[in-house]
Amino acid sequence: MRDVYIIGTGIHPWMGFSEQVFADFAAVAVDNALKDADIEWKKIQAIMAGIFIYGGNAGHLSGQYLESIFGETGVPVVNVYNACATGSASIRMAYNSVAAGETDTALAFGADVSPKGFLTAKSDNAVQDRDVIRWKMGGMPNPIYWALECRKRMEKYDTTEEDLALVKVLMSEYGSKNPHARFKKTYTIEEVLNSVYVCDPLRLFEICPVSTGAAAVIVTADKELIAKADKAVKINATTMGSAIYGDPTIRISALSCPAVPEAPMLSESYSASRQAYEKSGIGPEDIDVLELPDNSSWHYLVYLETCGFCKDGEADKMLREGETKIGGKLPVNPSGGFSSHGEALSAQALWQVIECTNQLRGRCGERQVENPKVAMAQTYGLMGNSGTTILSV
Amino acid sequence: MENMANKVARIPNLVDWSTGEVRLMSAKCNSCGTYFFPREHYQHRPGCSREGVENVLLPHKGKLASYTIQYYPCPAPFKTEKKITPYGIGLVEFEDEKIQVAGIITDTDLKSLKMGMEMETTILEMFTNEEKQQVVTWAFKAVK
Repeated sequence: MRDVYIIGTGIHPWMGFSEQVFADFAAVAVDNALKDADIEWKKIQAIMAGIFIYGGNAGHLSGQYLESIFGETGVPVVNVYNACATGSASIRMAYNSVAAGETDTALAFGADVSPKGFLTAKSDNAVQDRDVIRWKMGGMPNPIYWALECRKRMEKYDTTEEDLALVKVLMSEYGSKNPHARFKKTYTIEEVLNSVYVCDPLRLFEICPVSTGAAAVIVTADKELIAKADKAVKINATTMGSAIYGDPTIRISALSCPAVPEAPMLSESYSASRQAYEKSGIGPEDIDVLELPDNSSWHYLVYLETCGFCKDGEADKMLREGETKIGGKLPVNPSGGFSSHGEALSAQALWQVIECTNQLRGRCGERQVENPKVAMAQTYGLMGNSGTTILSV
Repeated sequence: MENMANKVARIPNLVDWSTGEVRLMSAKCNSCGTYFFPREHYQHRPGCSREGVENVLLPHKGKLASYTIQYYPCPAPFKTEKKITPYGIGLVEFEDEKIQVAGIITDTDLKSLKMGMEMETTILEMFTNEEKQQVVTWAFKAVK
């Protein structure tokens, strides 16, 4: 396998529900990535596109829609869906295509227009689509799942409501310094603790909303392109994991879970991160900056444990002692996280990779981590989807 | 048990009251021992032959393994005639079956919820359909 580098990235800043045509704002991200890499569209030899599930034809064939904007060249276009880890799948395919020598330069891309209001059922067929059952019978929007797990955590460890609020305080501080973020307001602990419960113990400001956004990453093994790039970033590993039998987590859309654990919690992310550590020879102790999926404050805490940055039940201590701040031992989510962006399903894993890339390239201004050499982007998708990308300069 | 005539589950094959008690309709794999809910939510142990999956009913009672209180209305296709917000959602553990099942908590003081408390399976009336039947879902309530 060849060494593969990121040479260009582009984002359309995250925003609320948009009437903009999907292709138009998606093209902004790709245009930016091409400019950043300083290459022509014709250099792209494969397009790995994330599926945008609420977009009908445009969403399911987003790569074809994109290709036609920039000019069809006959290259392989693959459209992929892995829930909120969709971007992980697209970059992994782009990486594998280049690493294997099938192509020299490939594009990973995702753009998503979230529905107005809530994510909800995508079919009306309870026979084929189990997800319909939880909506029609269970009354269980996604945050319910996180609240059920968060309550278990608070019972088992000493996680407090203040810990959950502190996550939002930190994320809002960093988000306010990120031009790509949708939410720029900063919050105090009191303001977070005074926000209403959505599903207790989780409050309004402790859960990320849905957003619209687009992200594009160009990867290459072409030595000339690497040499002329503005600081190429090496992909040490980009992996995907699925769940493991006996994982006690109640997964979004499920109505049951095992009562006796036989696997780690969030086992899909355990799997993805351990594969990445093994493939790259890099461990959690080597990571200088981490982007993790803070869909809720509970995720922020549990992901530090799932990915091996501390032992089970110790994440709260890391947070309280400032270890996860910019300037701390392990800066976490200097982007402001999902808390400051909201979820744009097929694009969000890619912006996590882009934030890591920008950090390694020293482009993050006020939220820049000091001189990082190794970064990790970790995703989480419903029903057992996850991806890990480890990058270095 | 209250009169269950003229009641119909919104989606079939999930909740049963034919035995005189409300119970969830599960399936058990006799090869790997795993219980599934819903029945078709297969979760076999890797390497299992998947032979001998049989339909079973979960016990009527279990223990509260986690809970939350939902403060805003669940969006469609969820539907109830009466406003039920805020409502509880519980994760109820059936110990021998080694499974926890999620469901709405009804007919229970939400302030009294405690981890480990005994819960029983019941039904929640959602709305009346065109045939004038009460459409229901499964739910849990504290054992009094």
